[in-house]
Amino acid sequence: MNRAVLVARDLRKDYPMYGEAVHALRGVSLEIRGGEYVAVVGPSGSGKSTLLQLIGGIDSPTSGTVEILGTVLQSLSDRELTRLRLTRLGFIFQRFHLLPVLTAQENVELPMAEAGVPRELRRARALELLGYVGLGHRARHRATQLSGGEMQRVAIARALANRPALLLADEPTGELDAATGHEILELFRRLNQDGTTLVVVTHDDRLAEQADRVIHMLDGHIVIPERREAAAVPGLPASTA
Amino acid sequence: MSGLGWSLRSLGRHRLRTGLSIAGIAVSAAMLLDMVMLSGGIEKSFADLLLARGYQIRLTPKGTLPFDTEATMSGAIQLVTSIRQTPGIADAGAVLGASLYGRHRDSLITLFGYGIQPEAQALYTIISGGDLSPTDSLGVLLSLPAARVLQAKVGDSVTLVGRLDPQVVTAAVGRTLMVRGLVRWVYDYRDQPSVGTVLPVMQSLAGKRPGDQASLLMVKAAEDSAAPAVVTALRKRFPQLEVNSVADLVREFKQRLVYFRQLSYILGTMSLIVTVLLIATLLTITVNERLGEIATLRAIGISRVSVVREVLLQGVTLTAIGSALGIVLGLVTARYLDSILTSFPGLPAAFSFFVPRRESLTRAALVLLLTGSLAALYPAWLASRAAIAEVLRAEAA
Amino acid sequence: MATLARHWAVLLLVFPAVARSAAAQLPGVAVERQLAHELGLSVGDTIRLGPRPDTAGTLVTISTIYEPRADPAEIAKRERHLRMHLPDLVALLGAPDRVDRLSIGLWAGISADSASAVLNRSAYGFRAYPSASIAAESSQTFRVVSRFHRAIAVITIVASAVFVLCIMLLKVEERRLDAAVMRFVGVRRRTIFGALLLEAILVAALGCLLGTGLAYLAGAATNAYYRRFFDTVLTFSVITPGIVWFSVVLSLLLGALAGALAAWRLVQTRPLVLWGRG
Repeated sequence: MNRAVLVARDLRKDYPMYGEAVHALRGVSLEIRGGEYVAVVGPSGSGKSTLLQLIGGIDSPTSGTVEILGTVLQSLSDRELTRLRLTRLGFIFQRFHLLPVLTAQENVELPMAEAGVPRELRRARALELLGYVGLGHRARHRATQLSGGEMQRVAIARALANRPALLLADEPTGELDAATGHEILELFRRLNQDGTTLVVVTHDDRLAEQADRVIHMLDGHIVIPERREAAAVPGLPASTA
Repeated sequence: MSGLGWSLRSLGRHRLRTGLSIAGIAVSAAMLLDMVMLSGGIEKSFADLLLARGYQIRLTPKGTLPFDTEATMSGAIQLVTSIRQTPGIADAGAVLGASLYGRHRDSLITLFGYGIQPEAQALYTIISGGDLSPTDSLGVLLSLPAARVLQAKVGDSVTLVGRLDPQVVTAAVGRTLMVRGLVRWVYDYRDQPSVGTVLPVMQSLAGKRPGDQASLLMVKAAEDSAAPAVVTALRKRFPQLEVNSVADLVREFKQRLVYFRQLSYILGTMSLIVTVLLIATLLTITVNERLGEIATLRAIGISRVSVVREVLLQGVTLTAIGSALGIVLGLVTARYLDSILTSFPGLPAAFSFFVPRRESLTRAALVLLLTGSLAALYPAWLASRAAIAEVLRAEAA
Repeated sequence: MATLARHWAVLLLVFPAVARSAAAQLPGVAVERQLAHELGLSVGDTIRLGPRPDTAGTLVTISTIYEPRADPAEIAKRERHLRMHLPDLVALLGAPDRVDRLSIGLWAGISADSASAVLNRSAYGFRAYPSASIAAESSQTFRVVSRFHRAIAVITIVASAVFVLCIMLLKVEERRLDAAVMRFVGVRRRTIFGALLLEAILVAALGCLLGTGLAYLAGAATNAYYRRFFDTVLTFSVITPGIVWFSVVLSLLLGALAGALAAWRLVQTRPLVLWGRG
């Protein structure tokens, strides 16, 4: 059995809003193993994106812990957390968030440059990744010259730049039409087949259908039992139905 | 893709605002450069004038400055001879300044006269013709304006008169002299008609022969480094005279023009404030617009340091481009401002208020770059403090 | 008292007072305040004056300490003056019957220019000038300073114009999403333009108010500082109603123009482009 890439224990997240506390997550636990393709679904406000941000180290929980490859995120300094996001995680966002002044290739190279990869190596890798996502011929185009689907594919290539252990995607097809969304779907499937561990927050049923596991969330809870047995990890609660 | 390249492209996203910001920085930089030149130019220009021939020391009647008054000191030749024999002194010369008149047809033209010792002078450079010899009592040197008003050229004769007596309607003394050369007098103001003769001739024309009067003694120390010691020794030896080094004279001159120095500091500071405001405002607004982008960068693992560096680099890039343009603009406006200030009456024509020196340009550029960097600090801090999750949530909403 | 003959003006050296003595028979001199302050002199003191440092000099008594007429051309120099009767000065200098200039008063109706012309035709060895032309000539220094100030003011106005335009552009562009939404819901371009222009004028007006206040403060500070620095009663900075009006009108115009340009640019942009989707 593949080892656990991600273990989240009893995560809670509260936000102050207009003087009141909003409980975005109310004790969520989960475990992701290497090679898994997990979809997180639920209505708006169910806490999906909050969960993704917490397990990605972008935000910190009010209580609870997140472990990535054995490292507890809450024990890390801001600099260490940033480094971990750079080298261990890959992010894909709904609105792509490419740097518009850079070319597709330069956008993909960006995380590698930050990680100190030598220029020639990162150029080669960037071209390789762009080829993988089907955009090798668009490497020198500025991000503003690409279509929505192309931008998302570049974002995926960027997320893969430093060979992350875990790829996190927040509504990756949210801004795309059906046909383009389908292309992304295919890409995710291929990524997972090639061994990439994926966690995708989505409203897109097609994405959810191709996942190994679907986690349903409602009002900050996981409400539908996971497909696997949950007792494998000590300390983890059983199904939260 | 270097950080600089990235910054340049980021700035190019909004060409109009970037262009206007650069224009604003350029004008501020020009003003700063002009003020830096003004603050240092006055003393540099004056010191260069005074040191034109290497005479570092001036002796004048007590309480006066060179050519500031009509006061004279007596025993000039004896003083000069004595000073020349002093160890550590390379040379000395006496100068008498006087008002006199040149005859041109039926009229008398007011002239300024220099009585000099040609073998030891620092007052003129020859434009055409020759120089006076030390004993040439028949020769005269003319400035170009003097040659123009007297309608004389090298080789012509001119008649100089002095000590006019209105009651008997005559001049007590007159001399017809041959023009030996046309010269540029270092301390003349624009279009000043000046003439120069050997000292005894001018003393006679000015009516100052008894007592061997001179307005000024110029002394050259053998070594520049020994000049202060020579000044001290001369002060001790001649307590009845005013002894000034070039540094003393520059200090006095700076004091008289203190207003311009202070104005240069005030305007220079204001230029820097404007530059800071412009860069800080532009970058702050840009950072606010790009918060989503910045939050994404942070989310994918770009460090705060990198984000700060990118914003700072934008500030420095803006400043560098604006400053480069500003330096060119500043040199142009300096010429214009200099043309205004050098029209002060009584100012030597060779004098300049705005002196472009490498040190001024370097100093202005460094101050501007530092200012641009400091101005970018607040927006850079803002960018580094972007709350990733909060911004991403807002973007998704 | 006669004006000091300028011929050997600064050769007059003041020797320290020997003693405060009864000075009924000694010539009287008027000393300017700054000189009296520097040498610790007061009315009734006796001082010795001479044309050269090595002369014995003549005893005189200080009969008056006066405040010199503030002369902008003289304040930067550190010359000190005193006044005495002409015969006393002539006697002191040993220069019988010689002066630097004569001042002539004309009867009413006589033109100074024509009188000068007559004198110059018949004169030998001197020239006559109307006082007005002397004043004009001697004010050349201030005309130069005025031109310099004007040039600096022009440069400052240009810099301010660029700055204002840049800031207005930035501020208006910050509102592009708001403008897009307004266009989406049907608000006319004219309305948006007018609103932004009004805002720009209000900001400019507030800026004028603040700037006028700052100018008065700066002017007061300038006068206080330079009066103290130069020890003079001269006024260095004067803010006249005309200057205020000019500055206010120019600032309002610049602000309005900058706001109008920025607003026009915004309303000319398609709403979808403003929204970020075009």
